[in-house]
Amino acid sequence: MPSYSHSDIKGALGFTLPLIILLTVFILIPIIGTIITSTFKDISFLQKRFVLFDNYARMIGDGRFWQSFRFTLLFIAVSVPLEIILGLAFALLLNRTIPLRGLLRATVLIPWAIPAAISAKMWQLVYNFHFGLANYILHALGFSAEPINWLGSSASAFIALVIADAWKTSPFAAIILLAGLQTIPSELHMQAQVDRAGVVRRFFAITLPLLKPALLVTLLFRTIDALRIFDVIYVLTQGGPGGSTTSLSLYGYHLLLSGDFGYSSAVSVALFAIAFVLSIMYARMARFSEAI
Amino acid sequence: MSEERVMSIISGVGIAGMTLFCLIPVGYIIAVSLSSTPDIFSQSMSVTGQNYADVLTSENLHVLAYLRNSVVISLISAVCAVFIAALAAYAITRMPFPGRMFLLFAVLAMSMFPQISLINYLFKLMTDLGWINTYPALILPYSAWILPLSLWILVSYFVQIPHDLDRAALVDGCTRLQILRRIIFPVAAPGLLATFLLAFIFAFNEFMFALTLTTDFHVRTIPVGIALFQGIHGETPWGQIMAVSAISVVPVIILAVVFQRRIIQGLTRGAVKG
Repeated sequence: MPSYSHSDIKGALGFTLPLIILLTVFILIPIIGTIITSTFKDISFLQKRFVLFDNYARMIGDGRFWQSFRFTLLFIAVSVPLEIILGLAFALLLNRTIPLRGLLRATVLIPWAIPAAISAKMWQLVYNFHFGLANYILHALGFSAEPINWLGSSASAFIALVIADAWKTSPFAAIILLAGLQTIPSELHMQAQVDRAGVVRRFFAITLPLLKPALLVTLLFRTIDALRIFDVIYVLTQGGPGGSTTSLSLYGYHLLLSGDFGYSSAVSVALFAIAFVLSIMYARMARFSEAI
Repeated sequence: MSEERVMSIISGVGIAGMTLFCLIPVGYIIAVSLSSTPDIFSQSMSVTGQNYADVLTSENLHVLAYLRNSVVISLISAVCAVFIAALAAYAITRMPFPGRMFLLFAVLAMSMFPQISLINYLFKLMTDLGWINTYPALILPYSAWILPLSLWILVSYFVQIPHDLDRAALVDGCTRLQILRRIIFPVAAPGLLATFLLAFIFAFNEFMFALTLTTDFHVRTIPVGIALFQGIHGETPWGQIMAVSAISVVPVIILAVVFQRRIIQGLTRGAVKG
């Protein structure tokens, strides 16, 4: 047991108090409040009524809930691996001794720093049926004779979203993975080169295993972000067509707007529970990978 | 061909592709904003500054109000978060108290909460307080929202400052606050700057709170302003929207280029320690 000094504890309380108060009032109490509300039938202008798990029972039979649940899982499954692969490619490029390295790193930061709602608006124009950049590019490359109505079908709207999200978030993956690459001692690569190990061999034998902690962190952050995705979808597809790109966050938000606070809270709590389990799972995994 | 030669060709192509991938969309925003028509490849397209003139002079579009709100709210939130996080980071790294690791990880866990699971309650709270569409309704939740990130980055900077430095000052009779101000803050200035920049960018990016807790241009921030942008005439005014986007994106780009090193350092500190 470490020994604590009495004055340190008192002082530390004073120093951490503002943080604790702010987080309690604006994060902890809201989440508890949402959990409590989720056990009520709480609809605007109607009498509030305690219903325990009725909202959760409703969720099980709610097709639109499952639609957004499936979409969210599919979105994670497609976008997160894509973003990590792109991010890894960027990180490997940025880690080489190249001219203008600082400027190139700043370039990669730009998509990340632009508010998602603003870039999503730009993507909406890119995917415009009549004069969007996407159809011009496809046409110039000779891929499609007919322009594609990107946001008009659920499959192409999904692809459109994944691309827009990858543009915004791959840079984040790149920065974290770059930091991971920089912790790998260059002597290892040099030694392997002396031993005539090729680039590909070195990547799989040295880079990838040593990058595992950084990959795990990136995976955790990206998965949680993809799980709660909201702003890109709100602006780019509004969850359409036909609700096919509605994420859990957006579904919860629609319910909130409709004034169904109880059910909206239940959906939010479900999302929160998934995020919570995921973060604990990853924390375990991270510790496990450190142990071996 | 030698392996090195092949690699440098691959990396040259890769870098070109990466640069295009990152910059084409930004270039597209600027191109459309300067074009007389959103169809920038059309025959009738001409270069014009009309979109900028429109959005900056029209009183009904409130572009400057959105920008002002975004800058003021993000600035105050970032300053609050960095200051509050610095106090806590100092306590966590310098004043051993039981449960400090728990505090650190509890704070990290909070940063993983989906915003939608908070907004329900916050919306009711702000409505009850009569704070909907006021600055505090955004500044307070924003400060809380960017605190976890700020705390983690600052802790990673503060642990690296040698303890001897402030232990000596403590022996000399300095108070903890004096030490923080006179020793830790100056030594950790680069870390404070990195944290502030990230906190600012996060607040500037925020969407859901701003969407739900504001009702008009008095408080609405620029991401929401652009998302809900309605022209004065019926059709989607793409040129104007892209002009507003360009105006709000350029400062962010300048920030990214000037402070590239600091931002990357802050980002990595905040994440890798997790």
